[in-house]
Amino acid sequence: MEEIKKILSEAKSDIEQDVGLERLIEIKNLYLSKKGKLSVLINKMRELSIEEKKSFGKELNDAKAYVESLINNKMVELEKKKLNQKLESEKIDITLPPIDSHSGVANPFYKIIDEIEDIFIGMGYKVEKGPEVDKDHYVFELLNIPKDHPARDMQDTLYIDNETLLRSHTSAVQAHVMEKAKGQPIKIICPGKTYRRDDDDMTHSHQFAQVEGLVIDKNINMGNLKATLELFAKKMFSKDSKIRFRSSYFPFTEPSVEVDVSCFSCHGKGCNICKGSGWIEILGAGMVHPNVLKMSGYDPDVYSGFAFGIGIERVAMLRYGIDDIRKFYQNDIRFIEEFNKKVED
Amino acid sequence: MLVSLKEIRKYVDLVGISDQEIADRLTFAGIEVEEIKRLASATNLVIGQIIKCDSMTESNHLHICKVDIKDEILDIVCGAPNARVGLKVIVAKVGAKLPKGEIKKGCLLGHESYGMLCALNELGVDEKYLRKEQIEGIEELPDDATVGNEDVLNYLGLDDTILDLKLLANRSDCNGLFNVAREIAALFKRKLTLPIYEETANYNETNFKVDSLTTNCDAFTLRIFKDVKVKESPKWLKEVLRSEGIRSINNIVDIGNYVMLLTGQPVHMYDLDKLPKQELIVKDDINNKVIALDDKEYDLISNDLVVTSDNIPVAIGGIMGLKNVEVTTDSKNIALEVASFNGTKVRKTSSRLGLSSDSSSRFVKGINKDNLLEVLKIASYYVLNLCEAKEISNSIIFDKVIHEAKEINCSISYINNRLGTSFDKETIISTLETLYFKINKVDEDNFIATVPSFRIDVEGKADLSEEIIRYLGFDNVKSSLPLMETTIGQRSLEDSKIKVIKDYLLNRGLDEILTYTLINDKDNEIFNYLTKDEPYKVLNPLTEDHKIVRRNLLSSLLNCIDYNFAHQNRDFKLFEVSNIETNKKNEVHLSIGLCGKELNQELYNAKDFSFYDLKGYLINIFKLFNISESRVRYERILNTNEFHPNRSAYVYLDNKLFGVLGELHPTIKSNYSFKKANVLVMELNLSILLNMRSGNNKFKEFSKYPSVSRDYTFINDNNMDYSNVIKEIKKTSGFIKNIELIDIYENAITISVTLEKADASFKNDEISEIDEKIKNLIVNKLNLKMR
Repeated sequence: MEEIKKILSEAKSDIEQDVGLERLIEIKNLYLSKKGKLSVLINKMRELSIEEKKSFGKELNDAKAYVESLINNKMVELEKKKLNQKLESEKIDITLPPIDSHSGVANPFYKIIDEIEDIFIGMGYKVEKGPEVDKDHYVFELLNIPKDHPARDMQDTLYIDNETLLRSHTSAVQAHVMEKAKGQPIKIICPGKTYRRDDDDMTHSHQFAQVEGLVIDKNINMGNLKATLELFAKKMFSKDSKIRFRSSYFPFTEPSVEVDVSCFSCHGKGCNICKGSGWIEILGAGMVHPNVLKMSGYDPDVYSGFAFGIGIERVAMLRYGIDDIRKFYQNDIRFIEEFNKKVED
Repeated sequence: MLVSLKEIRKYVDLVGISDQEIADRLTFAGIEVEEIKRLASATNLVIGQIIKCDSMTESNHLHICKVDIKDEILDIVCGAPNARVGLKVIVAKVGAKLPKGEIKKGCLLGHESYGMLCALNELGVDEKYLRKEQIEGIEELPDDATVGNEDVLNYLGLDDTILDLKLLANRSDCNGLFNVAREIAALFKRKLTLPIYEETANYNETNFKVDSLTTNCDAFTLRIFKDVKVKESPKWLKEVLRSEGIRSINNIVDIGNYVMLLTGQPVHMYDLDKLPKQELIVKDDINNKVIALDDKEYDLISNDLVVTSDNIPVAIGGIMGLKNVEVTTDSKNIALEVASFNGTKVRKTSSRLGLSSDSSSRFVKGINKDNLLEVLKIASYYVLNLCEAKEISNSIIFDKVIHEAKEINCSISYINNRLGTSFDKETIISTLETLYFKINKVDEDNFIATVPSFRIDVEGKADLSEEIIRYLGFDNVKSSLPLMETTIGQRSLEDSKIKVIKDYLLNRGLDEILTYTLINDKDNEIFNYLTKDEPYKVLNPLTEDHKIVRRNLLSSLLNCIDYNFAHQNRDFKLFEVSNIETNKKNEVHLSIGLCGKELNQELYNAKDFSFYDLKGYLINIFKLFNISESRVRYERILNTNEFHPNRSAYVYLDNKLFGVLGELHPTIKSNYSFKKANVLVMELNLSILLNMRSGNNKFKEFSKYPSVSRDYTFINDNNMDYSNVIKEIKKTSGFIKNIELIDIYENAITISVTLEKADASFKNDEISEIDEKIKNLIVNKLNLKMR
């Protein structure tokens, strides 16, 4: 019995030494293996009485279990220490720059088109496209601009041949859509590139883009146009945007209006953007001209409609404070990547 | 159209209404005022007379003047060459505010100066209305100018505000001051008093003959004046013309311009004695070279409207007179024409000759054909009064115009329904009447409106609705969203598919660019792999740079890369999706451009872009459309100096040419700023994908049993295409699920072959059997060494 105690205290002091994992395994073997110091004490059982055997056996087993638990505890401790050392060695500088995985940025031109599309899709509009090289018939004739109509001077057009041209407005898509709709109600927008015979400068571009809108049904009136554009302005510019109409002229609408939106920069007080007036011209619109309806197979005494045309670059320039339309077509990466913020309020 | 409000206020009582209010009201009523400008602006002026004028000894051009301004005599130093004793002058006193600044007491070379003697341009008058001597010297006032008069701008007729109207095609009537006055009077409901021109002279019969042999001149009226005196115009006429931006020439020319200004109707004059015959006949079958009043030669061809006399051209109808019959200061007898030339024809001739005039632009926009005789009467009045004509003929008239007032059937309900308004009958009727319409046969709802003859733009009831709302204001339009059957708002299927591709590329970090459709000759010649059709060419290009509709996106892309590279942008990824249109097809293409290296991909280990980056985008786009690689084939692009012959490829999808991709050839790069840079491009004909049915996603059960992988390394020293090796290995067993390339070291290629069964695990001998087959294939069939 004394011997158990003695070996036990030896073992304890061995384990409590500052030992490594390998030494610990040696210690384990030293005491607990078949020929280990504790294990061999079993041989002493023979010399003992039955009574003594019982208590000796228990004590020996307890001692072995105790040593084993000491070793196991020590083992866990050592493994933990080793792991910590490893983790310590893996320390990184968390202030180094990240692995770059920035998403690409679309030219703001596309962002505005997408936004306008989404606004009108939300109102139930379909998005239509049409050819950019189109026929005079669709670009002019069906829009109440017969050959040599003085309004053709308003838009100096790039021609391919006498009958074929680069469309000078997306209104041309109206004519295509009406032809396909065959007298059925229409609710569409058509974004797209357009071309005019213009010199490129800060505010003019021979290539630019528009979004045309067209609604045709029974009982469509100018109030419907106004409400639609009010909603658009609020979504596109600012929650408290207002719009106003000024009388204007387009051959394919009657009445025709220029639409101003209240300046979203100064809220009407007058600033550089609105040139002091508090209002900014953003689009042209009107009630579809009876001749246009008639030519595309709608009875103007039954059907009426409204149409509007929004200049993409103009809206983008106003929204983002861009001062030169050529920037959209220059595609300087520094310009494009300024629009990497994809979430806006 | 420049409008002098001083003139307008003569015709309309606008007391109490400011210039700004007039401009605003016009703008909202559809006649946009682009600019409001004061004709001149200067304060503290007075009329003076030079009573002493000595040359300054210290200077070779300055004068020391004593100027009498009635209340005092001022010492003023003046540099004008025409300063002299006795001259009446405009004096800007100390404290005067002129457009270029304030006049202060000055001291020049020791001589004190208390003011400035002015030229008109120093008061703000545009130099283009002034003669050279008026700009170089000070303004010389007539002898009857009153010394001490401080209301100098009024005296000079410069106290005027000019509205610059931006007239749209519908309101050509406002090209005449009388009609502008009518409009303004109506808008403000003020009294309109247009001058009445009485015919007072005795008219002489004449044998002079006028005619038109073309339907494109449907009216031609004329009067003959004898013994006219061509001289300087009176001061009032010169002032009106100056306000309207027209230079005064002489009384006869000025009358023509003035009458056109008042009425909007062009007026033309001929020297009667120079006409070959006592006739003017309009023809459209003349082919001749002529010299016009601008001293330039023009080539007339068939269909040009030409006024002739004895078959000799004397005027290009509605555009400009000819030199041979020009009215000069020596002219004694003149013929004055007021006619109606077809705007379309005038426009065609005018644009063909590159010759336009105030007259031609008015014909192009449209004139009031009912007004010709009235205009002839007005012109006669002035010729008689200002040129002292001794004898005047009666009106010689050719007129095939049907003079019939337009009547429009309309209703109150139509107008309100169209506008979304609720105007009552009285408001609508009285508004139209204010705008000079005559209203007849009114019942509860319907009425007939007779259109005033000067409103050539009003044709139907929709136009009447516009008249109502532009007059009463758009605030009356009640805002309400359209009540229509609910429809699903959406993009077209094609657009939705394009958006998927765009979103993928944006998410991969590529920037989306926007380039011009129209390109130049040089760019049209390169990178035409996907479209060999003839391109559309613009008939009337404005510049050489934008004259051909592009057939590919790559030339534009290279210009964009070039621009960026030249602006110190070095490493970037770009793409563009755009239409490609030729007379044979309308396609959607995608271009991708990679320049330099992918930054920061493995931390601080930038990697040059390679062919395989492009191929990665390509394959992943295919995956978006559920297209397996087995449908895709590559071919090298040979015999080109645009692509690197060994690092580029055509891509075929289902054996149709789908795109090109690869590294640029050094030869083409040498044309750009990125000569030495690593640049790769790809162009795909997306239409092939967009027009394919892609089917729907459907879940397919995957194997529950473990797969097994085996690696093989072989030495590819006989330059075998990797894809061929893979294809052969795949054939060895139906259980090969996937072959992955895991390493390339020099020409040693390591692949990992994964085996899988849908319904069981592999047994060892099954694996060994496939393994042996693969090894056997590589070594014996493909003749590759294994490592």
